[in-house]
Amino acid sequence: MSPIHHAGRELDSAAGMTIFDYADSLSVRVPTSCGRSGECHECIVEVRSGMEGLTPPTESERFLRGGYRLACQAAVAEVDADVEFAVLRRQPRILTRSVRRRTAPAPLTERRGSGVYFGEERVDAYRDGIYGLAVDVGTTTVALNVVDLERAEVVHTASFENPQRFGGSDVMHRISYDGGEHSGELRRVMLSAINFEVGEVCRRLGIHRRRIYEAVFVGNSTMRDIVFGVDVQSIGEKPYKSLTEVELEAGERSTTALEVRARDLDLRIFPGANVYSPPLVGCHVGSDVTADLMAVGMNEQDDAVMLVDVGTNTEVVVGNRLRMMAASCPAGPAFEGGAITYGMPGYDGAVEAVGLSEDGAPVRYETIGGAPAEGICGSGLVDLLSELRRTGRMNELGAFNDGAGEFYFAPDRDMYVSRADLSALAQAKSANFCGQWIVLRRYGITPEEVSRLYLAGGFANYVDAGHAVSIGFIANVPEERVAKVGNASLEGATIMLTSGRAREAAEELVRRIEHVELETAPDFFDIFVEGCMFKPMQMPRASTGAAAP
Amino acid sequence: MEAHLPETPYMTTQHAGLEKEIRYVTKPFEVKHIRSLFEGTDPIMHEIAFNLISGDQVEVDRLTREALARGFEANAVLDDGLIAGMAVVGIKFRDNIIFVPEVLIAARAMKAGMAYIEPILSESGVEPVGTVIMGTVKGDLHDIGKNLCIMMLRGAGFVVHDLGVDTKPEEFIDAVLEHGAQVLGMSALLTTTMPNMGRAIEAFEAEGLREEVSIMVGGAPVTQEFAEDMGADGYGKDAIACVDMARALVGVRDGSAPLETAAGAREASS
Ligand code: B12
Ligand code: FES
Repeated sequence: MSPIHHAGRELDSAAGMTIFDYADSLSVRVPTSCGRSGECHECIVEVRSGMEGLTPPTESERFLRGGYRLACQAAVAEVDADVEFAVLRRQPRILTRSVRRRTAPAPLTERRGSGVYFGEERVDAYRDGIYGLAVDVGTTTVALNVVDLERAEVVHTASFENPQRFGGSDVMHRISYDGGEHSGELRRVMLSAINFEVGEVCRRLGIHRRRIYEAVFVGNSTMRDIVFGVDVQSIGEKPYKSLTEVELEAGERSTTALEVRARDLDLRIFPGANVYSPPLVGCHVGSDVTADLMAVGMNEQDDAVMLVDVGTNTEVVVGNRLRMMAASCPAGPAFEGGAITYGMPGYDGAVEAVGLSEDGAPVRYETIGGAPAEGICGSGLVDLLSELRRTGRMNELGAFNDGAGEFYFAPDRDMYVSRADLSALAQAKSANFCGQWIVLRRYGITPEEVSRLYLAGGFANYVDAGHAVSIGFIANVPEERVAKVGNASLEGATIMLTSGRAREAAEELVRRIEHVELETAPDFFDIFVEGCMFKPMQMPRASTGAAAP
Repeated sequence: MEAHLPETPYMTTQHAGLEKEIRYVTKPFEVKHIRSLFEGTDPIMHEIAFNLISGDQVEVDRLTREALARGFEANAVLDDGLIAGMAVVGIKFRDNIIFVPEVLIAARAMKAGMAYIEPILSESGVEPVGTVIMGTVKGDLHDIGKNLCIMMLRGAGFVVHDLGVDTKPEEFIDAVLEHGAQVLGMSALLTTTMPNMGRAIEAFEAEGLREEVSIMVGGAPVTQEFAEDMGADGYGKDAIACVDMARALVGVRDGSAPLETAAGAREASS
């Protein structure tokens, strides 16, 4: 009899048992809300091997592509097949801290006497608390904060893998999936997953989900519009605009911000809760960046600063409170765990820091949670690249100087980066590089003139800034000017959750942002080639200036 | 790395660096072809080729100017220097000795040389292997990969007309007719613009011109399967596969090679 594998553990397989049954036996929690009937679509699992040993997909699984199945539907048919499955990864993390605030809280939902009021409207009788929900819907990871609105305090933070992966790893794939026969499915699985996570959090905190009276959602244009049920097809084609932006330009709406009631969204919190999403910056640059800008207090910056939010799509904003330029850089998922032999997102077991020495001593590495290495995440990759360069093992083009075909970063676990991996990383890094380079040039300043570089994004907090500069992942600013702001989108969403004034400021801000289309740079090819090299960014002074293209 | 390289029976050039590069070419018929490119040409061509392979754009820039100043024909500098160097780059790329970043710096060096050559280029006397039209489809502005394909195609002796990015079906049709091209290559980098390849093919069908030209497609989201579904004659995963495919398709049209060769080229390159 062959085993069923999950996260390094195994069980003997028996015909007829579903993957859900195996997960139960392994005490692995799989989301569900339909009594395992195939209706809720929450129990999506990735089958990494042995698909042929499972029962064929059922009618309720028709929307899934590639190696994905519903755990409650897929059962073992051939006991001889080795089946390996993985559930969506979740990372609950409890913490209580105040919202980092630049604007004093000006909550929209508050207690007045025995009532809960949203603005002037009495929405409910006050029972035991008023909570809010801030969600950052990323292409790869979803993060959320539950906030005690009476104290303006974050009481819980959690993150989980975006369950829409079966629709492709980047936004363009998701758009074309959503335009196909299973339109609406991406939205459905996302809301199911959020509802499940909210339920878990509430259980932990001992609060009722109906005490959540308000929510703020941020995300890139595609992710956000999918959640709100806005057709995303226009974002997939030139000129890459959200329907809300198209309508704004046609004078049919006054903002790209969205506001609906929870019940209309199928979001299971207080049914009448107001769900808000701030305005988009423009094109692919979404409300997550608007939130970033609120988190770093862009509306109060007098000197030119730079924001780099790294991800599958990296966003770059340069400017001060009066004048800003933004661009979206299509890096792809290489630094997020995709397209790399042993790449993985920043979950437990990911190598997050790497140190090499010149004398051939073994590699030192650290993993998230101290777990045995399962792969390498973005911050680990930045370290590795920088160290390979520093110790002279790799040239700027990503070739190993000893002619080898790979380098083992976790020899004890047989894990390596190959030359093909380095080539993919070079191109992803270059997309980030081009965005920063071109926006700085358009704005007319050099990295030395950037008074602060805010590094945001999933793994930003764990990145060694010096290493990131040394390989040209971020602009060559003095290390002490780099401020790591972590998940600034979630922070910004939280600020807007607790303040109506912050929402107004956000509206003001986005109107002052000019969108830079990278493709309009006539010398894009040369900049891209330069950016493929693992070395610090060098911007020729002479080529800058506001007049440059 | 050097230790694994076979000893060559003879040298074609006096350039130690270039000789070392040529030793990466190991298939006998390719060795013969590559050697013929450098046989009997001036040392400055060897110098240009070597610097192109190393991706030194400053040197290629300088040497191209020098060669032209010394009176070499633009065509000679192009064929014997730049294109000969690119042929070696192509083989190293196919054999996984170098990867995209290294091909890109070689392409950048080629561009540096081309800046002087292009304006004064005359019709070369050499019989071209075939004529190819290349362009990125409508709605898509990615051209780095397509441009690499073009350089490699030129390196392999094709005449290539580049329609640039955001190309409408009519533009493809007009260009094919105008230049009597045997092969059309379309590139798309976005999942959302890939269907425009199929639309362009339909446009050829609608005009009754589908039989006039062989169509190949490529770009990161494209697969063999998609290519077949949309009715293309061939697919190539990278610039080398693009050249192999173009060769095979021209062969089919000439009647000099059976269809299996096209399939063979596909296999060899996947
Ligand atoms: C550079 C780049 C850009 C540049 C393009 C500049 C230019 N002049 O080309 C800019 C910044 C302008 C850009 C813009 C956009 N991009 Co872009 N871009 C990239 C990037 C980083 C590299 C692409 C590249 O040039 N690779 C190097 C070349 C050598 O490889 P290649 O193109 O695949 O070509 C090879 C083969 O495919 C083959 N080949 C190519 N063509 C042909 C043709 C034939 C006939 C054959 C046989 C073979 C063949 O041979 C080539 C050489 O080996 C990729 C991500 C990545 N890391 O790959 C994203 C990527 C392609 N972009 C992406 C996106 C989403 C966009 C935007 C929509 C983003 C935005 N935020 O606005 C816009 C759209 C613009 C438009 N209308 O086209 C996505 C596409 C996702 C998808 N599934 O569709 C990618 C994959 C990134 C990602 N995962 O998110 N992009
Ligand atoms: S548990 Fe609901 S679909 Fe599987």
